[in-house]
Amino acid sequence: MSAILSVDGVSVQFGALKAVQEVSFQALAGAITAVIGPNGAGKSTLFNLISGAIRPSAGTVRFDGREVTGLPPQRMLAAGLSRSFQITNLFFELTVRENLRLAAQYLEQGQGLLRPLSRSTLAAQRVEELLAQFELARHADEVAGFLSHGEQRRLEIAVALASRPRMLLLDEPTQGMSHADTRDTEVLIRRLAREDGLSILLVEHDVDLVMDLSDHVVVMHQGQKLAEGAPAAVRANPAVQAAYFGEAH
Amino acid sequence: MHDTVLTTLPASVSAGRRRWSAMRWLATAFFGGALVFAAVALLLGDVFFLRLATEALIFGGLALSVDLLLGRTGLLPLGQALFFGLGAYVSALVLKEWSASFWVALGVTLVASAAVGLVGGVIAIRAKGVYFALISFGLAQVVSKVVYNTRELGASDGIIGVPGAVILPGLTSASPAGFFLVVLAFIGAVYFGLRYLMDTPLGRLLDAMRANEHRVAFLGFDPWRYKLVAFVLAAAIAGGSGALYPMLRGFVSPELMFFQVSGNAVINVIVGGTGTLIGPLYGTALLTGLRSVVGSFTAHHHIVIGVLFVVVVILMPRGLVGYGAPALQRWLDARRAAREVA
Amino acid sequence: MSATLEWLQFVLAPQMINGLSIGVAVVLMALGLTIIFGLLDVINMAHGEFYAIGAYLAVLLLGLGLSFWAALVLAPLIMAVLGYVTERGLVQRVFHSRDRHTLTLLLTFGLAVVLEDLLKIAFGANPVRVQSPITGATEMVGLFFPNYRLFVMLFGGALIAAVWLLVFRTSLGALVRAAAFDRQMSASLGVPVARVYAGTFAFGAALAATAGVLLAPIYSVFPTMGRDFVLIAFSVVIIGGMGSIKGAVLAGLLLTQVQSLSSLFISPVWSDPLLFGIMVLVLMWRPQGLFGKLGHA
Repeated sequence: MSAILSVDGVSVQFGALKAVQEVSFQALAGAITAVIGPNGAGKSTLFNLISGAIRPSAGTVRFDGREVTGLPPQRMLAAGLSRSFQITNLFFELTVRENLRLAAQYLEQGQGLLRPLSRSTLAAQRVEELLAQFELARHADEVAGFLSHGEQRRLEIAVALASRPRMLLLDEPTQGMSHADTRDTEVLIRRLAREDGLSILLVEHDVDLVMDLSDHVVVMHQGQKLAEGAPAAVRANPAVQAAYFGEAH
Repeated sequence: MHDTVLTTLPASVSAGRRRWSAMRWLATAFFGGALVFAAVALLLGDVFFLRLATEALIFGGLALSVDLLLGRTGLLPLGQALFFGLGAYVSALVLKEWSASFWVALGVTLVASAAVGLVGGVIAIRAKGVYFALISFGLAQVVSKVVYNTRELGASDGIIGVPGAVILPGLTSASPAGFFLVVLAFIGAVYFGLRYLMDTPLGRLLDAMRANEHRVAFLGFDPWRYKLVAFVLAAAIAGGSGALYPMLRGFVSPELMFFQVSGNAVINVIVGGTGTLIGPLYGTALLTGLRSVVGSFTAHHHIVIGVLFVVVVILMPRGLVGYGAPALQRWLDARRAAREVA
Repeated sequence: MSATLEWLQFVLAPQMINGLSIGVAVVLMALGLTIIFGLLDVINMAHGEFYAIGAYLAVLLLGLGLSFWAALVLAPLIMAVLGYVTERGLVQRVFHSRDRHTLTLLLTFGLAVVLEDLLKIAFGANPVRVQSPITGATEMVGLFFPNYRLFVMLFGGALIAAVWLLVFRTSLGALVRAAAFDRQMSASLGVPVARVYAGTFAFGAALAATAGVLLAPIYSVFPTMGRDFVLIAFSVVIIGGMGSIKGAVLAGLLLTQVQSLSSLFISPVWSDPLLFGIMVLVLMWRPQGLFGKLGHA
């Protein structure tokens, strides 16, 4: 398997604060790569960088062989990178169906923005697929803001998936979810990678989930990469253990 | 609770085709009512009310342009009168110096408004949120001051002696009923055009930007580009409406660009119902009538409207149609349900 | 050589002095605006009317036989009360909604419409002249300073310094800044947040009224004076940075200098467009203004 995402020596500096310091790692195509680390490690900043929300002060990001460093979010999506958000970032006043339709609309790029929606079959089909896949069909015509937290988190992932990206960036997808929902999400993520061949980059707090799910783990601490490797190896790494539990001693 | 207080949920994205009914009824009532009004006025030989109603429609067009930005794209424009006044001036100049044709005047104005809108948009769109409102306010203030001081444009007196516009052989803007119907047709075209737009990918993107501009980029669409499109379209609509003004009144003055006009347009939209498109038309009609009635008693109709506006903002920010349409819809649904049972 | 000196002395210097005296008043306006925005997150579109009310209150008080100095003290106090009531009674009502930014802007805009017409009803549409309380001019270092303008500069400057001290060096100021930073936390620490908010709004309004009184003898007093002046105040606040006191002071002084000096070279009609152009450029290059913090609007 080849690397689909190559992050090389990226740094992000906010004034005097070095949120991310020369981090490099690779994510393989079709694999589930997780980024973990204690609070303040710089995971979210790294995520924002890769998805185009912020620009690095140094380093490069390559996706699918192309240089994508510093591109704005819409260009990242065009390259095939889509992300979900840690703090649910839906169109709360619109219905579930409309949320998905907006995201799926990207599939019809170039077909004209002034066509009536009744002719928008590609997007409509994708919406039906997603409603079924994420078990949201019951809520299709409900306003997104009125869904339960777990349902909103599911919708959050569905929206990110709608444009059929090559790689999915999931920012704490199980945040605030119940145990049952978390299990379901784990199953979903695994299926997306194994059956649909989607590459996934995951930021998570739930270390057990990460160890269960990922093929490859990157550990961050205070803005730097601490360790990288298979889950078991990373778990056994003394430096990683110190970072997570060291302060407690 | 993610309930937007100001804007009514776009009817078409809410519950499928059924929701259209209330809005359709309201739109039919408006335009149908206008036609009935015209017929009655014609029979009674009235001129004053026809001209007043025509003026209400013209400002209704300005209100539609504000609603496109405020209710649909999420931008608050406090200087839309800039395009309205500009359109009025361009139209007056065309009619006076070049061609008395309605179509030429309107056409030239639409192009000019869109061009100025493009420039203004590139400047203003960069600003986020309330900064946009202030830039739009400032732009209008400044341009109106410049026009006020420009002798070639008539300075504070404006341009007078604008001839009537010829729409068809035998039909000019001098005809009260005839011009009323022409303006009604124009406003109708704008209204139904915007209605259609809201059900296209572009229109839905505008709604999405109002709902959550941040996320739109992550769906693959550059928000700046679409905000600009909306801005230019709104400028053209405002300018086109403004073009009709000199045809009605025979003159234009810098007052048409003043904050009063922009402010009134925003008030008309909020009172009528932000985001509903037909609400702003109702709002403009109601408030123009109110201003005229109150104005005949006192020169201080602004205060009445101002107080009404403050009350609306505090107590019923969704405006008349914003509350009226869902209520009407519930009544229609109840009636339909009752009929199905019977 | 002497021609240049003469130009400096008789053309440039008077313009700079004019600019400074206006500048001090503009800074007071801008301080009020930026404080209201920095704490309450409210764009006060009625700020210009508070300025106008200040001026009209002075006219009223002078008409009742009070001295200008009494008016200078009383008008801002009265305006403070009005501002407090406005905030508690009107602004608070829309404060908790999701569309707060738009609604407060619209509310204050509606208020401005009402207030302007009220002024027109109460005082008529014609401009009113206010006698300058100090006449004559003083000569210093070869330059002539009109005495009243000198007073405005000194008084205004002292007031600005007092505001600075109040906000940054007193516990009251710290309280207010805490409430701005974290409303919930402050409330749970016992800070009477609602009263702090209303008080801050009142304070900002009083500053605007003070500017109105100070400038009344320089410009005449008329109902739409607020609307014209508020654009300058907003430009200053935007360029200086929304919520930044330092920015309001620096930008206010700088921009009024630019305005008064530019009138030497270009027609006065273009001075407003110039100011506006600068504001747009700043907004495009650095949206948070010179000293503002992004994330405040």
